[in-house]
Amino acid sequence: MMHAAITVLTLWLALQTISPEATQHWNAAQHAEQQKQFDVAVKEYRAVTQLEPNFAAGFVSLGQAFMEQRDFSSALAPLKHALELDSNLLPAHQLLGYALLAQGYAAEAIPHLDRAHEQGALGIAQEETGQFSDAIQNLQAALQKRPNDPDLLYYLGRAAGLLSKQSVDTLLAAYPDSSRAYQSMAENYFVLRQMAEAEKQYEQALKLRPDTPNLHLELGQVFAMTSRWPQAEEQFRAESKLQPGNAEAAYRLGDALLQQGKAHEARAVLERSDRLQPQMPETLYALGKAASMEGDASAAEKAWTNLLNIEKEGSLAAQAHFGLAGLYRKQGKTEEAAEHMREFQRLQKSGDTSERQ
Amino acid sequence: MLDRFSQLVCILALIATATPQGAPIFDVKSPRGLDFTLQNSPTAQKYLIETMPGGVALLDYNNDGLLDIFVVNGGHVSPMSGSGPDSFDRHDPRYWNRLYRQNRDGSFTDVTEQSGLANAGEGNYGQGVAVGDYDNDGFPDLFVTNYGKNILYHNNGDGTFTDVTAKAGVAGGGWSVSAGFFDYDNDGKLDLFVTRYMEWDLQHNKDCGGNFHTYCPPGEFPRTTNILYHNRGDGTFEDVSQRSGIAAKKGHGLGVAFADYDGDGFTDIYVANDGMQQYLFHNNGNGTFTEVGMEAGAALNADGGPLSGMGVVFQDYDNDGLPDVIVTTLPRQTYAVFHNDGHGSFSDRGLQTGITMLSGVTAGWGVGLEDFDNDGQKDLFVAQGHVLDNVEKIDPSLHYLEPPLLAMNRGGGRFEPADPGTHAVVAARGTAFGDLNNDGSIDVVTTVLGGPPQVFMNRGGSNHWLTISLRGTRSNRDGLGARVQVNGQTRFATTSGSYESANDKRLHFGLGPAKSAKVEVLWPSGTHQVLNDVAADQFLEIREPERP
Repeated sequence: MMHAAITVLTLWLALQTISPEATQHWNAAQHAEQQKQFDVAVKEYRAVTQLEPNFAAGFVSLGQAFMEQRDFSSALAPLKHALELDSNLLPAHQLLGYALLAQGYAAEAIPHLDRAHEQGALGIAQEETGQFSDAIQNLQAALQKRPNDPDLLYYLGRAAGLLSKQSVDTLLAAYPDSSRAYQSMAENYFVLRQMAEAEKQYEQALKLRPDTPNLHLELGQVFAMTSRWPQAEEQFRAESKLQPGNAEAAYRLGDALLQQGKAHEARAVLERSDRLQPQMPETLYALGKAASMEGDASAAEKAWTNLLNIEKEGSLAAQAHFGLAGLYRKQGKTEEAAEHMREFQRLQKSGDTSERQ
Repeated sequence: MLDRFSQLVCILALIATATPQGAPIFDVKSPRGLDFTLQNSPTAQKYLIETMPGGVALLDYNNDGLLDIFVVNGGHVSPMSGSGPDSFDRHDPRYWNRLYRQNRDGSFTDVTEQSGLANAGEGNYGQGVAVGDYDNDGFPDLFVTNYGKNILYHNNGDGTFTDVTAKAGVAGGGWSVSAGFFDYDNDGKLDLFVTRYMEWDLQHNKDCGGNFHTYCPPGEFPRTTNILYHNRGDGTFEDVSQRSGIAAKKGHGLGVAFADYDGDGFTDIYVANDGMQQYLFHNNGNGTFTEVGMEAGAALNADGGPLSGMGVVFQDYDNDGLPDVIVTTLPRQTYAVFHNDGHGSFSDRGLQTGITMLSGVTAGWGVGLEDFDNDGQKDLFVAQGHVLDNVEKIDPSLHYLEPPLLAMNRGGGRFEPADPGTHAVVAARGTAFGDLNNDGSIDVVTTVLGGPPQVFMNRGGSNHWLTISLRGTRSNRDGLGARVQVNGQTRFATTSGSYESANDKRLHFGLGPAKSAKVEVLWPSGTHQVLNDVAADQFLEIREPERP
């Protein structure tokens, strides 16, 4: 961003005329900057601004030199003065916006960053000032220009989290005894893995509004996390009754049944999940497992092969290869078994590598 | 009047002795005289070794017919002095291993000093114990594993032991964990296998968990080899780890168990590795082993995931005559149940057996498959407690201290949870199984970090039973490695398995309502012996025929 500013500034400067003595200091400053001698650059730019007090670019460059030294506080005055001389000077808006943000003056930085169309920094400043919706919008726009930028992703995640918290705080303040308030609290406890508390809050939420979609599903996941599969089954079953078209509820019910060794029942429910939302890798993997447990090798093979047609990489693909390897080994198809084992090991290795990265 | 009174007394006696329906199988006791405390000596430095001890053995060291208890202690870390780094101190009696002789009244007497077992080896930090009569003199010997040097104590037959490590050549080194005696070449002399955990020392310990300061997972440290010693028969052993192929596979070995899984007449080895694939060493019958865990389907869980294998048992849980493997692990992995499908192939049946459901959030260590209610089905007991003493800070849904798991085998390959007789939560580790009071029911002893052992005395019941002692003549004297079948049940004679521990060498069978049994013994020598109409409810010694 700094480099773009310099380019714009240089072009703009070419249109200006300053005295020979000031030009000499200007050139010396530019040379010093190239040499990364920013203290010298500051001295030379200061000389330029003293000789040419109406030369706005001199003040911008002085501000920038301070910023290169991370002296944001000293950068503020020359940048502000540059804008007094020329309020349309975009590089000055940009640099001042950054300097103010770095100094913790997020609210003051916003109009400058907005003017300079610096959406990433603007989003950060908006997040700092509690304007989470706007922050999310600007950070998303910035991410479109710089996909997967870790800083932008971090701030976007943070802004989304804070927006969520803001909504929840409002909910809890306005309707502390509502089902949604309890649900919200429960979700927080779940994230913190405080399952006993999460369970209590979900049960309270369900008592108030037993027909709220996803409440049973979420409570079921609390039971699943604590390995209480019969209770998890009960909740997933309730959710499936409430939302017969919900594939996830059916999948989770199938998984809960599978965890209890009820392969036959699990298979029927998983097949229903597969019909509701075909090609869901999780369902296909569990289907293969249920079929395998029932000794139906061809159905297991079909489910896992379908999965691999959809998903060639990742942990579910690895698991499907492992399952197929075992299945073929038992059938005496050693070559096929070895091939799937090789694929399993390849995916395991790549998984290990990405984990380390 | 007298008749009525007698009747009343009889009824009261029956009420007092019968196990009520639904009552716990075990009565958890603190027998008089068993005053041991396992000193693991946790430090702020979080030395990984602190969370790993210690073993327990049930053996009749003096052949008086009563099982005695040997417990392995951890040790004390002597803080770094000006002259050197931290080291382990075993001098103080609090840090000794202990041998408790069982008295006729069920109490115990500490005989550590008089038996010559007080010296645990300065600089050693204790881990586990193996029991076996390596010189076939009729008295069980002790092998103690340590971080440091392992120790072989020869049982002199007069109530004393002698440290014969140097002569025997079995000191090893590094971090040894579990060990077991078995006869891998069927020459009638017990050989010795020792698992080792990792390349580690006090100077290269790591502290994980950031601000929480936790013990590090094994993957943070280099893998190491296990050790196989061949018994030469003259009181010395030869390290054959390289020659046998055992040393070709490095791992993070913890538990070890033996059985002949493919029925080829040679005992195989299963090693529970922590945080990686498990190892199944197939005995090739020519003095070498091949690791076949992956090909056999006994290395990873059903989803291809590695296991934090800690304890292991290698016995037949579904009475199909083939030894299965159960490996205890950390939470979120669930204990693995590798069912032996025959033809050298296994499949994970954690879901089918119900064990997955019972082990989702627990950490298991010592483990055994024993028929606690004598109904003819082997039940499962697991000593539990997380590795990390502050795991709640990292995941509040998990717990450092846990009760044990008792799962009753209901037949058809299904286990159901049962009341283990205590709700006390502890950090349990080593576990040994045996009939302490010779009442025909299997009891359990577990070790507890920082605490006394837990003794689970079986209340017994009305089912019949048969307990067999093997007396090898051409095979090793205790018949370790024999396959014994009683009324359709199978046990593989071993004192090994579990975690860092050694079990009663006698083979126990529940007979249900049957008052007699057909017994078949396939001795390591290859001799097949059949006994018909053996009366139930007795301790039976079976002597191997001198001639095939």
